[in-house]
Amino acid sequence: MNMMQVIQSVVWAVLLWPCLVSLGVPLECKDEQGSIILCASISKEKLLDRVIQHAELIYRVSEESCTLFEEMFVPFPMRSQRNHAGYTCATKAFPIPGSKSEIQQISDKWLLHSVLILVQSWIEPLVYLQTTLDRYDDAPDTLLKKTKWVSEKLLSLEQGVVVLIRKMLDDDMLTTSYYEQGVAPYNLQPEVLESVLRDYTLLSCFKKDAHKMETFLKLLKCRQTDKYSCFLH
Amino acid sequence: MMWRDVGVTLILSLILPVVAQGARHTPPGKPKLTSCRSPDKETFTCWWEAGSDGGRPTTYSLFYHKENSETVYECPDYRTAGANSCFFNKNETSIWVNYNITVVATNALGSNFSDPVDVDVVYIVQPHTPENVTVGVLDDKDGPFLRVSWEPPRKADTRSGWITLIYELRVKLEEAEEWEEHRAGQQKMFNIFSLHSGGVYMVQVRCKPDHGFWSEWSTASYVQVPDYIPRERSMWILIAVFSAFIFLILIWIITMNRTSVKHCLLPPVPGPKIKGFDKQLLKKGKPEEVFNALVVQSFPPRSTDYEDLLVEYLEVYVNEKQELMLEGKDLQDVGCLKSKSQSDNDSGRGSCDSHTLLMEKCVGVESKEESSYEEPELLQGQAGSWERLERGDSQEVDTPDSSDGRVKTWPSVFSPSNHHYGTLEIPKQHSTSEITYSIPDHLFPTSTSFSHHHHPEYRDSLGEYSEYRLSRSPSAGVAYHWKAQHPQAHSNFNIHNLERQKEATGLPPSRSMEYVEVQKVNQENQLVLKPLSSHGRGPFQVQFGGAGVDYSKVNGVNNDNVLLLQRQREMAEAGRYCDYQKEGGSAERYPTQQQGKTAKDGPVATQLQESTCLTASGYVDTAPTMPTF
Repeated sequence: MNMMQVIQSVVWAVLLWPCLVSLGVPLECKDEQGSIILCASISKEKLLDRVIQHAELIYRVSEESCTLFEEMFVPFPMRSQRNHAGYTCATKAFPIPGSKSEIQQISDKWLLHSVLILVQSWIEPLVYLQTTLDRYDDAPDTLLKKTKWVSEKLLSLEQGVVVLIRKMLDDDMLTTSYYEQGVAPYNLQPEVLESVLRDYTLLSCFKKDAHKMETFLKLLKCRQTDKYSCFLH
Repeated sequence: MMWRDVGVTLILSLILPVVAQGARHTPPGKPKLTSCRSPDKETFTCWWEAGSDGGRPTTYSLFYHKENSETVYECPDYRTAGANSCFFNKNETSIWVNYNITVVATNALGSNFSDPVDVDVVYIVQPHTPENVTVGVLDDKDGPFLRVSWEPPRKADTRSGWITLIYELRVKLEEAEEWEEHRAGQQKMFNIFSLHSGGVYMVQVRCKPDHGFWSEWSTASYVQVPDYIPRERSMWILIAVFSAFIFLILIWIITMNRTSVKHCLLPPVPGPKIKGFDKQLLKKGKPEEVFNALVVQSFPPRSTDYEDLLVEYLEVYVNEKQELMLEGKDLQDVGCLKSKSQSDNDSGRGSCDSHTLLMEKCVGVESKEESSYEEPELLQGQAGSWERLERGDSQEVDTPDSSDGRVKTWPSVFSPSNHHYGTLEIPKQHSTSEITYSIPDHLFPTSTSFSHHHHPEYRDSLGEYSEYRLSRSPSAGVAYHWKAQHPQAHSNFNIHNLERQKEATGLPPSRSMEYVEVQKVNQENQLVLKPLSSHGRGPFQVQFGGAGVDYSKVNGVNNDNVLLLQRQREMAEAGRYCDYQKEGGSAERYPTQQQGKTAKDGPVATQLQESTCLTASGYVDTAPTMPTF
């Protein structure tokens, strides 16, 4: 099952590669007269589909990573209690809607921007997580590979969302964040329970946020096709 | 004192239950949250189970607080979901937020808190079962197939993408035991192929969000598949036809090889086979005919084909007792020169070889006159031929069986002619008292000097044979029986001697026989015989009386065509034979007999003295021994 998903993620990466290539080129699908010019870009719907699939894949891999880590390092009594004191997920800059009703009240723009913020907020911690997991003595290879893959794919997701925003919202002001090898908190004792719990919290929070991204994007998609039916529920 | 103790115990026994009853009321036991589920990721319900109630009515209440706030809320709805449950509606449900839920049991005496449980709605989603499961049979060019379709549960919002469901269905024949499961992914329709014709299928569907729990299986839907291929029946028909075909072929093969099969299974019992035996005659009940049929005419073998009847040796009987006397009357029995045949092992002549018998024969011969001349016959053939020859001349001779004193030559080379007569020709010219017997070729054929007035056909045929024979049988003894032969008879046997002419006139009626001694064999292969009358007859007659007589037996013919005679001794009384060695020196005398000496007849006494034994082979005493009387 894991192998299958890895393969799937690789396939998606290959599929999304032209998307990444096209990001460097300004998308000029409409000239000044408004006539449609054939440009080397994809449509919004297809792009949104691809972004959604990408998000789904990220979520699935993150879920597997979290499960692996939990089985490997987390003692059993602590598994269900994800929110120990002091190990809650980091709060975001702006409030993320927590219920469907709230989400349905958010506009498309806000949805997209929320996704973008989420993605951008996790790039760095995932890099940190990678280094931390490398220091574990008996961390399984699959866990390391998955986390590495996730951090890479998160970058591409970010780029996709940026393009999407640009396309849908005609907002060209956003730029992709550049990853900087920042100074990450250095974990001296990786296998101590404290650090283990910290890492575990990190993974589960990321898993949650990945699900958020997926849900937002799917809601967005619904709004694109049939705005009214999406809200009727 | 005892009364006091009894009273205290009684009181205590009354008080304790009351006290105990009061002690039953305790604070409630610890409740426990069993599960929380959300069917649509928008609402959720939690259930708990109660601990011991402590004897008092207890109330349960659920309190929660969200992840990042300390505000504790109580469960908004205790009733919707049933007893011991708490229902959170949409407004109170936040996803991606951990709820910390605690249940409190309270009674009059106290309260008890359950362990807190963290719940994130996103992860506790368990949808309802899919709805409107429909199964239909559709036809395709390859055969019918099932199409199953369903709808997502009503509450799950898959349209807006809030929940993404994946489906799974399972199929089995109604009578089968194991289900066949298929993953359908996110589609709401599925095809099932390769159906059993005429079977009834059961189908069930369930769903699951991409992260969550599986729903329950939907209620089974039944579908009947029509009979589209009577495959099994046609297969059986094909098998039946094929096996019938093979069966017919087998029958045909067995019929063609009926006999060999019968031989194989029931091997024939071998029955007795007798040549000439006719079972039918036996069945008819006429055994005489049957047995007559068994009589083979060709048995005993006649003298027709003597080439097969190879004879080992040539035996010449020279009866010691009866020496041929040429002068005189009794020359008709010239052929009575015999040598007593000893008990040859290879011929049954012993019993017949008593001199008395011989005497009778000779007497009989004498009486026969000319007509009774018998041809010296070279009897040919086997021992059995003796009889035949005997028979051939039976009218002339009242002879005993042939074993006595016959010239027995069995050369097989005798051509089938009944006139096998050994010819011993005795030239008449010999005026001496010698009798020369010319041994015909066929008797003693050698390369030289046998007279050739005989059946030429015999000559060659006998040529080597007789010589071979004779040389081979030094021990066997050659017995000659020369019978007086009528010259006019178709024989060539002529005993030429002086007395012969006398003989020709008639057979002297004397009872005695004249014997001749073979002196030598001359160059012409003629036996030179010398009558033994010079020795006086008396001795012979004495010998006739029963004393032992000398018989000359030809021991053999050496290279010089010399008859080697050897006298044998015999008991006068009886034919007692003893070892040859006891004769003492007869072997010594043997080499001296180069010339074919005369067989010394030696008086009986002498002979008796010398030896009382006869050798088995009957040799002529070749050594000149002086008769002692």
